Amino acid sequence: MSVTKLPKIMKIVAALMMSALVLCLAACSTPGGDKEKPAPDDASIEALIAEQPKNAEEATDLYNRLMQKENDILSSDKSLWEKVFAGANKDSSMIGDGSNYGDFLLATVEGAKDTFSADEFNVLKTGAEKIKKIEDKLAALKKEFPDCASTSGAGESVDAASAGMTGDAGKSTKFPSFKGKDLDGNDVSSDELFSKSKVTVMNFWFTSCKPCVEELGELEALNKKLAEKGGQVVGVNSFTLDGNQGEISDAKDVLSKKGVTYKNVWFNTDGDAGKLVSGLFSFPTTYVIDGNGNVVGEPIVGAITSAAQREALDRLIDQAIANSTK
Amino acid sequence: MDKRKNPASHRLSRLRGWVQAAATLLTNVHLPNFVKGGIYQGAGKTVCVPGLNCYSCPAASGACPIGSFQAVVGSSKFNFSYYVTGTLILIGVLLGRFVCGFLCPFGWLQELLHKIPGKKLSTKQLKPLRYVKYAVLLLAVVLLPALVVSDTGMGDPFFCKYVCPQGVLEGAIPLAVVNTGIRSALGRLFTWKLIILVTVVVLSVLFYRPFCKWICPLGAWYALMNKVSLLGMQVDRRTCVSCGRCARACEMDVDVTRSPDHAECIRCGKCISVCPVDAVRFRYGFSLPSKQPSQPCEDK
Amino acid sequence: MIKAIKPIAQSALLVVGITMVCFGAMRGEADAVLAKAIRLCLECIGIG
Repeated sequence: MSVTKLPKIMKIVAALMMSALVLCLAACSTPGGDKEKPAPDDASIEALIAEQPKNAEEATDLYNRLMQKENDILSSDKSLWEKVFAGANKDSSMIGDGSNYGDFLLATVEGAKDTFSADEFNVLKTGAEKIKKIEDKLAALKKEFPDCASTSGAGESVDAASAGMTGDAGKSTKFPSFKGKDLDGNDVSSDELFSKSKVTVMNFWFTSCKPCVEELGELEALNKKLAEKGGQVVGVNSFTLDGNQGEISDAKDVLSKKGVTYKNVWFNTDGDAGKLVSGLFSFPTTYVIDGNGNVVGEPIVGAITSAAQREALDRLIDQAIANSTK
Repeated sequence: MDKRKNPASHRLSRLRGWVQAAATLLTNVHLPNFVKGGIYQGAGKTVCVPGLNCYSCPAASGACPIGSFQAVVGSSKFNFSYYVTGTLILIGVLLGRFVCGFLCPFGWLQELLHKIPGKKLSTKQLKPLRYVKYAVLLLAVVLLPALVVSDTGMGDPFFCKYVCPQGVLEGAIPLAVVNTGIRSALGRLFTWKLIILVTVVVLSVLFYRPFCKWICPLGAWYALMNKVSLLGMQVDRRTCVSCGRCARACEMDVDVTRSPDHAECIRCGKCISVCPVDAVRFRYGFSLPSKQPSQPCEDK
Repeated sequence: MIKAIKPIAQSALLVVGITMVCFGAMRGEADAVLAKAIRLCLECIGIG
């Protein structure tokens, strides 16, 4: 009878399912295995530093390439650098004083020497020294061609998906530009929005997502705190995109109940930024964007109300402020 | 060829494993999303699937009825979901707990786990636990999401958030495996849900469908609807020899000869295949008054 | 007599079911289901 045959197949299937499940569990219990690229070598950096641009265009290009190198250094030993940034949180006074960013890193690394092994310390120290050299060159470039930094990467558009969830950590990607409105109907353009703030914390939410609404109060408090440092929080409610009036009034209702005063904006879904939001599926998600319009680090997925998430957010904010002031 | 009196019923119960596999695949048809790490975002998700299947599963093609109900009830705009309740009434009347036995992906998973060789325990002594699932339905799905609300009038989807192991298995785990952002969001809540999942998995190896029997709010709903379902079991009193094999074969602890419309019967059809005289069959249609005697087969 | 009630209940429930689906969809519940189903509310499924 064929009825008796079935269980045998099922047993095999069951065994396979079980092992798959075990693998799943094993895979997710291993802490975030970030792929780390090797740090860029000295020679390539020296070569860049030796270059002498003839015009503003070349200067901008060189500026970008140097920034890339710097980011490569930081992302090559990401976890180590994150420790450094975590240490720097407590003493961020140095960031804003206009001194060389490499000096700041060196000092911070030096200050947190005991927390690293000798090898780790060496990696960090040589990294910081390379960054110092690059920063010197960047400063020289800025002196000669003042516009080379501000026009960096203008008009560059970013693939929606890669800007969001898959981008390499530490690598700077421009947040796709948009022209939209705030919920009161005033025009908002991304260039203006980002450039006037040292850091923009961009929070993506939707009206019927309870954890998203729950963290609005905390984001309002963060906005007040950031205002003192020249930063801001901006909300994007994914229901309100394309200017859906009913959703806008629902969202405003929730925002006023939560006492939110910071700007919430909407834009059209057919633009690059719209595509990024449509591709977003996890809510809430929070992006940190520096004054140049670059996304700093990886977006924070999930509410920022937990201590660990909040710490990660603060780290990105400090990094963004550092990016904007150098 | 088939000399049995109820060939269609035999065929259906024999094909059950394949129907379960096909139903699971159809409910989760967007398989590439497991690798891409996204979820399907098309209009198909307006419609509820019959079984318990998390709509945050990357591959999910439709909405989970229990998740949808809580989403509507928990939103500030509504306190009850006619849309989802209506869907559940329709599926309940048309199929009843046939959904559990044939269409539910999580039911299938528990069955597969139960096929792992080892010690098997009977649930006959644990019948009172069956009533837990009605409490889960009433509290975690209907009442708490509607009544425990924040200052903005929103409620938590209690069942999805704190109980459902299917959401961890299909949603949280596959997404966390491919997505670093989600991985870093995992915390205490996830640990708790993982403990539930592991418990259900272990219990499923020992017992037959523990989640369906004791916890599942969707199973509880279909259990109630079993009483009025168009699909049911029929026992031919005239041919029944009261051998008791059907009751002994039943892994849901039901005696089909006594109560063919029992709330716990998931219409798996094991009683059909073990009956030596082919007295048990599936029936489909309105329960019109029959000439059959209503008392059970005589006791032996 | 009791037997006759069941088919009536079955047909009535089918009508009620269809009515409820239509009514619910009309007042926007279907859109609410879709909106939630295509977005992953992390905490809602136990990620957090």
